[in-house]
Amino acid sequence: MIKRIILSFAALLGSVALFAQEPTGGVKGTVIDRNGRQPVEKARLVLMKGAAEIAEATSADDGTFLIPGLEDGMYTLVITAPDFLETQVQVTVNDGYVKNMFNLSLTAVQQVTELDDDAFAAFDLDDSGYNDNPTILFGSNDVFNNIAGYNFSAVRFNARGYASETQDVYLAGVKMNDAITGYSPFSLWSGLNEAMRSKETVNGVEVSDYGFGGYNGLTNIFGTASNVRKGLRGSLLTNSSLYRLRVMASYATGVMDNGWAFAANVSARLGGNDWIDGVYYRSFAYYLAADKVLNNANKLSFVFFGTPGQRGAQNASTQEVYDMMGDNMYNSNWGYQNGRVRNARVRKTHEPIAIFKYDFTPSDQFEASFTALYRFGKNGYTALDWYDAQDPRPDYYRNLPSYFMDVNPDMNRHNDLKWGWTKEVWTHAKDYPNLTHVDWDRLYNVNYNQEDGRSKYVQEERHVDQQDLNLALNFKARPTSRITLTGGINGRINRTEYFKTVADLLGGSYFMNIDNFAERDFAATPYKLQNDLDYYRIHGYAQKLSVGDKYGYDYYAQVRNIGGWLNGNFSFGNFSFSLGGRVGYESFWREGLVRKGLFPGLEENGSKVIVDGVTIEPTYDPDGSVTTSLGKSKTAGFLTYAGKLGLNYVIGGAMRVYANVGYFNEAPKFNQAFLSPRTRNTMIENLKPEKIFSADLNWQYSGNGINIRATGYYTTISDQSKVMSAYDDLQNAFSNFAISGIDERHMGVELGFKIPTYLVPNLSFQGVVALGEYVYTSNPRMTQTVDNSAEVVLSNAYLAYWKRTELLDGTVTQKHYVPSTPQTAVSLGLAYNYDYWFIDGDVEYFGRSYLDMSPLYRTDYAVAGLDNNITDEEIRYMTTQEQFAPAWLVNLSIGKSWYIDYKYQLGFSLNVKNLLNNRNVKTGGYEQTRMVDNTVSKERYYRFDSKYFYMAGTNYMLNLYFRF
Amino acid sequence: MKKNLIALFALAALVACQSLKEEWQPVFTFDANEPGAYVPYTEETLPGFTGTFTSIKDLKGMYRSGKPLEVTGNVWIKGQVVSSDRTGNIYRELYIQDQTGGIDLKLGKSSLYSEYLLGQWVYVYCDGLTLGAYNGMPQLGLEADQTTTNEYETSYIDVQTIIDQHVFRGASASPVEPVTVTEADVQASISAGFKGELWGKLVTIKDLRYGNQIFALFYPNSNLPHTSANPENRVFLSDAGVWGINTWACSKAKYIEYVQSGVWDLAEVGSGATRYGPITGTPADYLKDGKTLDSFGSDAYLTYKEIMVKYANGNYVSHYFKLGNTDIQVRTSGFSRFADIQLDSRILNGSLVDITGILTIYNGAAQFSLVDDPSVSVTIH
Repeated sequence: MIKRIILSFAALLGSVALFAQEPTGGVKGTVIDRNGRQPVEKARLVLMKGAAEIAEATSADDGTFLIPGLEDGMYTLVITAPDFLETQVQVTVNDGYVKNMFNLSLTAVQQVTELDDDAFAAFDLDDSGYNDNPTILFGSNDVFNNIAGYNFSAVRFNARGYASETQDVYLAGVKMNDAITGYSPFSLWSGLNEAMRSKETVNGVEVSDYGFGGYNGLTNIFGTASNVRKGLRGSLLTNSSLYRLRVMASYATGVMDNGWAFAANVSARLGGNDWIDGVYYRSFAYYLAADKVLNNANKLSFVFFGTPGQRGAQNASTQEVYDMMGDNMYNSNWGYQNGRVRNARVRKTHEPIAIFKYDFTPSDQFEASFTALYRFGKNGYTALDWYDAQDPRPDYYRNLPSYFMDVNPDMNRHNDLKWGWTKEVWTHAKDYPNLTHVDWDRLYNVNYNQEDGRSKYVQEERHVDQQDLNLALNFKARPTSRITLTGGINGRINRTEYFKTVADLLGGSYFMNIDNFAERDFAATPYKLQNDLDYYRIHGYAQKLSVGDKYGYDYYAQVRNIGGWLNGNFSFGNFSFSLGGRVGYESFWREGLVRKGLFPGLEENGSKVIVDGVTIEPTYDPDGSVTTSLGKSKTAGFLTYAGKLGLNYVIGGAMRVYANVGYFNEAPKFNQAFLSPRTRNTMIENLKPEKIFSADLNWQYSGNGINIRATGYYTTISDQSKVMSAYDDLQNAFSNFAISGIDERHMGVELGFKIPTYLVPNLSFQGVVALGEYVYTSNPRMTQTVDNSAEVVLSNAYLAYWKRTELLDGTVTQKHYVPSTPQTAVSLGLAYNYDYWFIDGDVEYFGRSYLDMSPLYRTDYAVAGLDNNITDEEIRYMTTQEQFAPAWLVNLSIGKSWYIDYKYQLGFSLNVKNLLNNRNVKTGGYEQTRMVDNTVSKERYYRFDSKYFYMAGTNYMLNLYFRF
Repeated sequence: MKKNLIALFALAALVACQSLKEEWQPVFTFDANEPGAYVPYTEETLPGFTGTFTSIKDLKGMYRSGKPLEVTGNVWIKGQVVSSDRTGNIYRELYIQDQTGGIDLKLGKSSLYSEYLLGQWVYVYCDGLTLGAYNGMPQLGLEADQTTTNEYETSYIDVQTIIDQHVFRGASASPVEPVTVTEADVQASISAGFKGELWGKLVTIKDLRYGNQIFALFYPNSNLPHTSANPENRVFLSDAGVWGINTWACSKAKYIEYVQSGVWDLAEVGSGATRYGPITGTPADYLKDGKTLDSFGSDAYLTYKEIMVKYANGNYVSHYFKLGNTDIQVRTSGFSRFADIQLDSRILNGSLVDITGILTIYNGAAQFSLVDDPSVSVTIH
């Protein structure tokens, strides 16, 4: 009520300031939930006259609103609220009266969805550079995103085929995408659904009020105390595909009479799941926030939250393994220790975030905010490490039948007995748990056997610990009724430390800080084996490591960004356009914290390093500078800029046609810039910014219970860079592949709709269609180096088969596609809502998904093989990209809520996904960058089998909640 | 109604908690007790053992020259571990010996020393394993690969489940003391060929003198064919002298150093009667067969010396020693940790030495593999 008065008062004051003679007309009413008939608070009401925005108001706690000071005329009132579909109604103000619209009902966008951020965060587990976050902007008010965001997440659908890092995610006005990788950091707030529920989203190239954004939309999560829904809420959720139980509670006061608002949210996610053994959650989350409304113009917000916990990770395996296990969800990461399941790969994180935000709203025509956000803490990921010991991974290729038998005689593999026994083991896995899973007991016993206590096997923890300070100043101004200006400036200082520690000595007493791979080549040169040469120089021996000690590598990724943006929206009747630009400067460098024996570089004073009395001659990078591991690298700096133009035409109030076009010049990320950041400061030569052109054309209808959006889009991305690492059998060394000049083209259409059937009351027909073509359009260059030397193995090699498979006579047999997302995705279904019941059923089709390609397989070198002769058959074999089989899925959701005494609400929702129990849906994977070279003919190479991830079979999520 | 609903939700919550409890128990999320130590097999606990062991000598006696033998029946041997791959000079093989002799178990796994400790008793159930020879040396492994290019009578056992069915680790014991053997003993074993008593045993040979000769075979591009039918990809250092090699073998780095130093510049490409010329020439200079030349690709115009650097790897070297009139090769792997250790100058100057290692036979000649670092295995008088 107080807020309503304040808002009304503010609106009144604003009106007084603007007009000498105040119009007396207006609009008022109450915003309610169509199902529960409950008031909807904080709904945003924008009054339009044609395309011009005339006024804006927010519904009060009881759903009421008032927009005074209107001249007579016809208006369109656009109502939006978190979790509800946008609604537009026509209003006519006559004779200076305030028009009472009474109840304006909103339809919940997806009453059935309780989409946990974990569904996204869980995919971001692999540390090999493989990232498969879906990028759909779920939770927005867009009909396409709402349906696709929920139904397509299981197949890792990427909107328009764009990579995860292209989706901008903001929190309280600050861009949260990872400074090093650009990935969307959903895991930072997973488990805090209530606190982070309130958000606003724009699609594609559109400009948001909170940031300029890129070409793949922008979601801003409000995140402050007054944005958390008022009251006490609790929920119990059980889930068969992620974790067993989630317990969550939240409480928010709303803005109280004294101007304070407080909010808290806690949760725990615990247990394993029905589908992937070894994957479990033991994660917690906390959120505390306070807002202080000082007066109508000033508000302060304080937020502190974190999600401490751990979760076991899944691993990809080859189809051979899945087939023998009879289970596409087999996970090679775990095994039994003393009869209990233990996962070798566990993500352990606790990265708290502290936010201070100041909102300044001196008038309806101007608002501004300043946010300071600081992220810190630890982000670890465990894995097995070993020294001079057998590979402990159960699905290591030498443990599989295919290593002992291949029908191709050129592979030189034929031993019936070994093939038979390995087959026996893998097809009767329950009888051989120590061979088909990690044999922890054996690892311990190997360590027990070492007389001096030196562990052969340890569990390491790879850390990516960030200290990330972000500052953002945003504003929105409406100098006239036809012009809205938004803009801001922002800065970022990020220091991320990459290192690993000994997490568990597995029964041993110590581990040694030496480089296993270097020892193979330089056993007689002890200094070269040292991960920390300076320690060796002081002590004369390598460091003996205890639990918690850092080892292997240790360096800072230093990133600095600064930028500003401005966007203007201009309206002329039914037509409006927006024009905006962004400019910034981004820089980064590596700062090595240890001197590695292989790349000692020079002393600080420029003299050569002396070890054991011997002067070490430095090695040199391709650009002629000394190869160093310790200290600062060169700094890469990039001027970035972007421009956007948006055109919008409203037809008859409910329909609009709009188009956007944008050009972006984006800096490469730190993780794309260094050849081997674990070992040295060497940067990729000729690092270039990415250039993106993107345009979309949209038609939208929203009215009379109908919501439709149709979009066509076209995007080109040029000069992308990528660095990946893998063991190269031809070099017998761990190799780094730096690829530059990757170009892509994304084009396609999107359709989202929800339409009443008119045949059965309360029954709607809903669906989305996403048809795209996301292809590579260039053959990039690749430079290959090995960790063990400064030598360049392949220099700027041409990936002749990257964009397509092209035979010797020029025949193109296949275009190559951007991987890991279906390029055809369709969902059609029915939604029924009545008397607090809802039932949704959807049928989905996914097709034209492709496997992530290895660059090595697209070189002439790999295709030609040892005889240096290229044939069409070799081209087809080595370069063809695998297309996944299409998939059909059926999902069903049902829910009901009860109101008790008009005060309390109890409810449940049950979502069952993949009712057909389709267990053969590949959601991603990658080609191994390894080749078989030990052939009979010595004429060609063969690929290692690819590895895949699959979607779970039938799975459910049951959510029980109460609110009061 | 209200009470019923609340009761319903309370029940659901309990069910959820119960399901969590069931799920939670087997999931490892915190420190568990460390596993117990391996329980060694004894003669009483060996599966299917009937109480009689065959001696290694008798097992070898079953072999008929040139023909691998698949052992059948309830044949068990036992022996103590005398080899270790800790230094990397022995790789994927395990030598065990009893009172009657030693044998090479081709286990096919790396880092065996972590589980097969020196002196530890090992029991081998031989039924289904194959006894064969590699250039005269007795080996117990698995049936040979059925590939067209197979040159061996046996293959590595490799597969853990097969190892688990045949090889049983028994109690630990003190490491076996090496047997000191004389030239006569060595000659007697050489004469006995496959069945020689010393092969596969840990022995000490005293009063050896450096022979000023080495044997090494390099494949300039190890990715290309390098069998005896491919002399264009072979370089021998064997005719005379030591070719400037003063280390026990050469790691990749040392190999490159030797190549670049020029001490091998006169080494000839080729083998047997086919000799092309020194490594300072190119494949294009030497090879007239277009297909063979093509196989070098763009490397065809690099000198062999450059090709050797480009595809460098660790390489073994055999140093010859004299025991009276008998040649004893000491063969060292380029991947052993002591590959680049220099031979002591006193050895090179002709001092007598005692060497301890695993004695094997290779094409009728005695060959030594050091188990430990030369500072331990080689005693200089």
